[in-house]
Amino acid sequence: MSRKRQRTSYDKTMKKIKKKDIGNLLRQWQSDFAVFTPSRKSGTARMEEWDGQDTSFLEWYRNTVIPPKGNIFPNMEEMFSFHKDGEGYHLELPAQDEAKHLIFAIRPCDARALKIIDPVFQDAYEDNYYLTRRENTLLVGLGCTDPHESCFCTSLGISPGESGDVDLMLTDIGEEFSIEEVTEKGKELLARTEGLVEAAQPDELRTRESREAAAKKISRKLDTTNLKERLLSSFEDKEFWEKAAAKCISCGICTFLCPTCYCFDINDETSGGNGTRFRSWDSCSFSVYTKMPAENPREDKWQRVRQKVCHKYEFYPRLFDITACTGCGRCIRLCPVNWDITRVLESVPEETTAQKENRNAN
Amino acid sequence: MPIKDISHREKFLAGGNVYLPHIIVIEKIIEETYDTRTFHFNFKDDNLREEFTFESGQFGEYSVFGVGEATFCISSSPTRRDHLEFAVKRAGKVTNALHRLSAGAEIGFRGPYGNSFPLDYLKGKNLVFVAGGIGLAPLRSLIWNAIDNRAQYENIDIIYGARSPADLCFQYDLDAWEKDKSVKMVTTIDHEHEGWQGRVGFVPQVLEQVAPAARNTAAIVCGPPVMIRFTFPVLEKLGFTPEQMITTLEKRMKCGIGKCGRCNIGDIYVCRDGPVFSFAQIKDFISGEY
Repeated sequence: MSRKRQRTSYDKTMKKIKKKDIGNLLRQWQSDFAVFTPSRKSGTARMEEWDGQDTSFLEWYRNTVIPPKGNIFPNMEEMFSFHKDGEGYHLELPAQDEAKHLIFAIRPCDARALKIIDPVFQDAYEDNYYLTRRENTLLVGLGCTDPHESCFCTSLGISPGESGDVDLMLTDIGEEFSIEEVTEKGKELLARTEGLVEAAQPDELRTRESREAAAKKISRKLDTTNLKERLLSSFEDKEFWEKAAAKCISCGICTFLCPTCYCFDINDETSGGNGTRFRSWDSCSFSVYTKMPAENPREDKWQRVRQKVCHKYEFYPRLFDITACTGCGRCIRLCPVNWDITRVLESVPEETTAQKENRNAN
Repeated sequence: MPIKDISHREKFLAGGNVYLPHIIVIEKIIEETYDTRTFHFNFKDDNLREEFTFESGQFGEYSVFGVGEATFCISSSPTRRDHLEFAVKRAGKVTNALHRLSAGAEIGFRGPYGNSFPLDYLKGKNLVFVAGGIGLAPLRSLIWNAIDNRAQYENIDIIYGARSPADLCFQYDLDAWEKDKSVKMVTTIDHEHEGWQGRVGFVPQVLEQVAPAARNTAAIVCGPPVMIRFTFPVLEKLGFTPEQMITTLEKRMKCGIGKCGRCNIGDIYVCRDGPVFSFAQIKDFISGEY
């Protein structure tokens, strides 16, 4: 079984580079791309434009706090500007960012997250802002070697060491990184990149071992058996959801930092007669999110927690055939009150009280 | 009512961008009640004025630049194309800003969005319209549509109610429908009111008294959520099947095109898959969320 898989992936060119030469590699790529790497410059780990020097992220980087979705779908972005003169209103789109971007060291979970949310922005009406940036961004993955305890990507069908969702994939093989081409775009880039060495048989072996070792380090498992069905039948189980939501403080951090959360708000800002319409990340954790003049369908906290969980694990899969979660674990490790989605999901009852009674009666 | 192919609407995209509004000009403002106004408008662009089409039940996103965007149905009928209309009840930031506008003002419009009332299903049937307050806005688009194609439908009944006489919207329509012999019009207010000669009672109660026959009939319902909730059981009692009951849902919306997330209920986005639904489609949704 594994032989066939090896053949497919190993037909593609694999190269390698010494870890100490990563700076040179990034500098080379900088002539074609705006290169983004993990950075703590802002105080919070995120993908930021590389300064041309600092490769210390290779030592501290496990994953970013702010997911790379923010590079494609910024937390705040101008949609258009408007100004008024004697002839009325004039609208202007922001200058299209034509620059080619390259995100270096994206984790497999976060690369999958973009694949997961792509259909939202492609569906029916195309969202130019997202799709243009997505199209112009090359993803260079870096396999995990030190996943967090809160990571559970393998339960969502993601391997922490490999990815089909990036253009190039780097794997730590000791003193070097192996570089695997994944897409045509990646192949082209690899072909014109200088200073790389052809990977040999032992490098390929070490790559495989490194990937397998990473997968073994994911200790947290989520049992997804019948999960959609369980969520559907437990939807009205208020008692369950109240308990599941009990300690949530509705701060919204799990949604802002979730690589697959994409909800947004649209607002205007003005100075004088001119202004800007912009969008910003929004969150179903907030009651104002759905507030209408007379009613609010999700006034209570338990309804909002239910919405978040069910949207990811039941509604979204029904819509786009994929679970809107990658098991990146951010919502677990960054939650101020230690709310844990895997615990909630595992405690969703197999059958509701009513069903149980019904079954016992028969 | 399956999700309709919307690709043809691309021609109404401003600058090829789904979030960029068209400029529309307010031509006339009608004071419906103390807190509700109807705005007549037209596109600033002559070509769009000619080409723009929509169907009864669809909505738009209206911008007051500098204040924001809000969602309203197109309340006029596609059969009357001199201008377009939407009605606004004063409630929040954008609605208040709209109420401060005068004729001649320019605002933004994106649309038409959403599905529409299923005309193919409705044709050849008796129509019973059940509306409360500002809920008449989306229905009047269909009512005028049906009246303008009167031969295609059987009996038309309209049951409309509001809290008090001062809350009745579209008085000019109510008058016209009262006079129209091909339409049966019943207007009601919730409680007794000095000087009110007409019927008194909540809309669902009055519907039960009027008791339209369910056979070959479709009921089209729109009003405050509480009215809708009490109306469906009455219709069931009168023999209507869930397929025969049609409503249009109101949810908080921002994008109007199934992306921003807030109008999500289960695997449905009200803006993209609705706003028009049969009761059969929504009765299993997840109660309390509509």
